[in-house]
Amino acid sequence: MKKLFAVLSAFVWLFSFQANAAVDSEAAENFIKKVTNQGIEELINSNVSADEKKARFTKLFNEDLDLDSIGKFVLGRYWKTATPQQRTDFINVYRKLNIQTWSARFDEFKGKHFEFKGVENSKSPDQVFVNTQVPMEEGAPAVVKWRVKETNGRMKVVDIIIENVSLAQTARSEYTAYIKNSPEGINGLIKNLKSRLK
Amino acid sequence: MKNVLKYAVAAVIIGFCGQVCAAETDDDGALEKYNRAMFSFNQAFDDYLMKPLAKGYRAVTNDFVRERVHDFFANLKEPASVINHALQGNVSDSGKSGGRFLINSTLGLLGTFDVAGGWGLKKNSTGFDKTLAAWCVPDGPFVMLPFLGPSTPRAAVGSAADAFADPVYWANNYTNFSKDWEKYSFYYGLSALGFVSLREEKLDLLDKLTTDAVDPYSLIKSAYMQNRLKIGSCKSVDEGQTPSYDFDFDEDMDEE
Repeated sequence: MKKLFAVLSAFVWLFSFQANAAVDSEAAENFIKKVTNQGIEELINSNVSADEKKARFTKLFNEDLDLDSIGKFVLGRYWKTATPQQRTDFINVYRKLNIQTWSARFDEFKGKHFEFKGVENSKSPDQVFVNTQVPMEEGAPAVVKWRVKETNGRMKVVDIIIENVSLAQTARSEYTAYIKNSPEGINGLIKNLKSRLK
Repeated sequence: MKNVLKYAVAAVIIGFCGQVCAAETDDDGALEKYNRAMFSFNQAFDDYLMKPLAKGYRAVTNDFVRERVHDFFANLKEPASVINHALQGNVSDSGKSGGRFLINSTLGLLGTFDVAGGWGLKKNSTGFDKTLAAWCVPDGPFVMLPFLGPSTPRAAVGSAADAFADPVYWANNYTNFSKDWEKYSFYYGLSALGFVSLREEKLDLLDKLTTDAVDPYSLIKSAYMQNRLKIGSCKSVDEGQTPSYDFDFDEDMDEE
């Protein structure tokens, strides 16, 4: 009897642990619905000034994207050897540059709408993929997956996968190749990125 | 029969790949050196010739004309889809592509209008590259081809094979041109228009993609190779594999 109880409680513990660890699919999907609505309908399709647009976009970007995790990921193995100063400098310039390029790139989605196609688990228990499709004028719809990470009950986007191309992975390949070939290493990359800020 | 053909083709490709496919890891960086050099060459070719041509083409045509040209070239690819859907065992898709080709080549005025699409026969293209993937032929490493850009050994073999299914190739071979220059201007003229039209479609995308890139070569290579994985492979290879985008986000990876 005692044994049975132990087994049962072990099961309960195991499942409650899993339930705690897994990200709520519905909440993740609602979160991405909010992001796409704010990012597209309220930003691109609205008639506000360019400055106002940029301010709104910056707010959206800072609140809903986990730029610290992404920055750490894209530096790859160079993150370990980077000094605290280099890490902060890189994250700062990476954040600014992303806001700059993405506020321009989001215009691509003007007039388009996202269809939600369910949520897919990832290998990491605190992360899920929210599947969306964007119908195109010709051919199959574009498949866009949003990787959502939950930290302390708050959801943030950590990667966007467009037609199987992960933006985080692409940035990592590009930046680590640049650091490898640059005589100045990480500082060379930070300098180069800074020069691109408008 | 299908198996004999499959192994024969696989043997030819493995022979063709030879050193290239074996050099997957590219330890001495020879392939990367070549790729980067070819990338610079292609960029110069693009800057001085293709991009200006594409912009000129955009300037002298309107959306309607460009769409007709696009549909014309898309229609020429249907025979390759007919054959390759069949090779992949999708008889119904093969029939649909065949139907599209017949309808669009006639009622669609040489393919310039996608009449079949309006009737519910939606475009569903495939090619020899996808057939090879379905036959478990590996993709091989990233290779930058002169003029044509990003590719892999399997993709290159695929498009070369598809070119034989192009009606323009057959029309060119079986038409009696009175003079040689007529023959060449027909084939190369049409091919050139096809390339310019293709480049025009990519004008905005490529500009946006490489703005603010610190290493455009690595960016294009990474994005191209990730996108290639979308094609998948044969069932025995695909089974049990996690999708390529589901990498561990928090672990420090010591690759590349």
